[in-house]
Amino acid sequence: MEVLNSAFDFKDFPRLDLTIAALVAVFLAFFPVLPHSSFAMATVIQFLMFSLYGMGWNTIGGYGGQVDLGKAQYVGIGAYTTAVMLTKWDISFWFSMPVGVCFSVLWSFILGYPLFRLKGHYFAIATIATSLVLKDLFEVWDFVGAARGIEISPIQFPSPDFIRLIFKEDVYYYYLILIFFFIGILYMNWFRKSRLGFQLRAIKDNEEVARSLGINVHWAKIRTYAIATAFVSVVGSFHACYIKNIEPEDTMSLDISILIALMAMLGGAGSLWGPIIGAGILIPLKSYLKEWLGARAGLIGIDLIIYALIIMAISAFEPRGIWGIVQKIRRRRR
Amino acid sequence: MALLELQGVTKSFGGLMANYDISFSIEKGELVGLIGPNGAGKTTLFNCISGVFPLSSGKIFFDGEDITRLKAHEVARKGLARTFQVYVASGDMTVLENVMVGCFMHTRSRSKAKSTARQILDDLRIGDLSEALVHELPVASQKRVTMATAIATKPKLLMLDEVAAGLNPGEIEEIMGSIRHLHDDLGMTVILIEHVMELVMKISHRIVVLDYGRKIAEGPPEAVSRDPSVVKAYLGERYAQDSTVDGG
Repeated sequence: MEVLNSAFDFKDFPRLDLTIAALVAVFLAFFPVLPHSSFAMATVIQFLMFSLYGMGWNTIGGYGGQVDLGKAQYVGIGAYTTAVMLTKWDISFWFSMPVGVCFSVLWSFILGYPLFRLKGHYFAIATIATSLVLKDLFEVWDFVGAARGIEISPIQFPSPDFIRLIFKEDVYYYYLILIFFFIGILYMNWFRKSRLGFQLRAIKDNEEVARSLGINVHWAKIRTYAIATAFVSVVGSFHACYIKNIEPEDTMSLDISILIALMAMLGGAGSLWGPIIGAGILIPLKSYLKEWLGARAGLIGIDLIIYALIIMAISAFEPRGIWGIVQKIRRRRR
Repeated sequence: MALLELQGVTKSFGGLMANYDISFSIEKGELVGLIGPNGAGKTTLFNCISGVFPLSSGKIFFDGEDITRLKAHEVARKGLARTFQVYVASGDMTVLENVMVGCFMHTRSRSKAKSTARQILDDLRIGDLSEALVHELPVASQKRVTMATAIATKPKLLMLDEVAAGLNPGEIEEIMGSIRHLHDDLGMTVILIEHVMELVMKISHRIVVLDYGRKIAEGPPEAVSRDPSVVKAYLGERYAQDSTVDGG
């Protein structure tokens, strides 16, 4: 009961924030009814997906301060589990998604145990490395289609198929991911106030002090890493049904890992709204830039330059991102 | 049975003996001071007891249990809390949230942790700071916050590492009051490392003196302050002779 109360309790935010959040929620709920292009629809779905990735990253990366640059491998595990199970054995999304989560979490334990012996930059580098290795393995693994990947052909399933999650119209995907999005926010709202949430923030502050308060630092990090992983894996499974064509280069690339971390950091690592703010800025920027660049092949790669500038700006001015700036201004006013 | 018992605790870093063959014990309800000149190995000893460093040799018993090989978080859960000399809280946690982390050792419930934390802060007379960020506070208040956080784990033994360092006389007086309150009113067993002799001498029942990693004296404050080897360690050879003459 206390868990639910805590998840629905947003009272510690000022009324202004809650008003804005409510307006955004209403907008998202009615977005498909408003006139929009299919491009805008795809962008908003991407925004919701990346918000969820960011929320997952935010548990270990934001609250725990362990910069994880290997989230793409869990996108891959989730996506591949669902795609393989659907195309090979016609297994429902609602079954393959939790199976994917199990695989991801298992993998996260195997990696987390040694990786969390590392600190700071070394941890970040190790997460990149493991993600790239897994991607390379998938690229030569014939069972999952090697570098060609897996294609889910939608024709064989009459739309809308709520069991396999195959739809012709994006609006179904939209509402499904929107529901996940709201559940994600509620979970994170509980998480940040939970015992583990507090312990992580203490770990981020000072590991030695955290240990002296009875916190098993290594285990707390591993557990949180598993939570982050579960978030990413669920959306990865969704990604497989939504995109219908997954290959290692797309789903597990370093770009995805960096984008996930970058969004959360830009919006504000270690805050509830941070990843959503970050995704809300970066995803539209990314997709409109991509479209605009379509006609200007010479400028390809400019999105990477923009990411780099953002990274520099965050580290130079405010490590806690946009939300950190907002908080600073508020504290000064008081 | 002693609450804490050290048997021949030795810790070396490479060739450097930071602690050598230190033995003493602390009874329940005592307030013991651990003093010694700079580099005597006081903080190292704290780190050994609290499981931050593994011992090179020796044994440590706490409440009848051998805790020699336990890790820092396990030692903490046995009921041995400590503060740190330099407490760097750079993050965005408020005072209340910091203390709540300590409370979470015994409860999963946030509301319970919060109310206990409030109580502790009020008890240490820093309740009005609960919404402030720790790193924005003056040193004296930060020291109190670290004490509050340690107390929140409901320890059987509280180890305070230089809580008076860097404070002015007024603030020292206040923190002394707090330590007395913890000991006299709440019945806590306390060990304090201190440079500020005045404070230790005034409130400790018993004093253990370290020098160059060895225990050189142990006893009631008056006796220790007259002990020639202690005076020598602090002030040098010449004063030691003078004081023996003066002391008769």
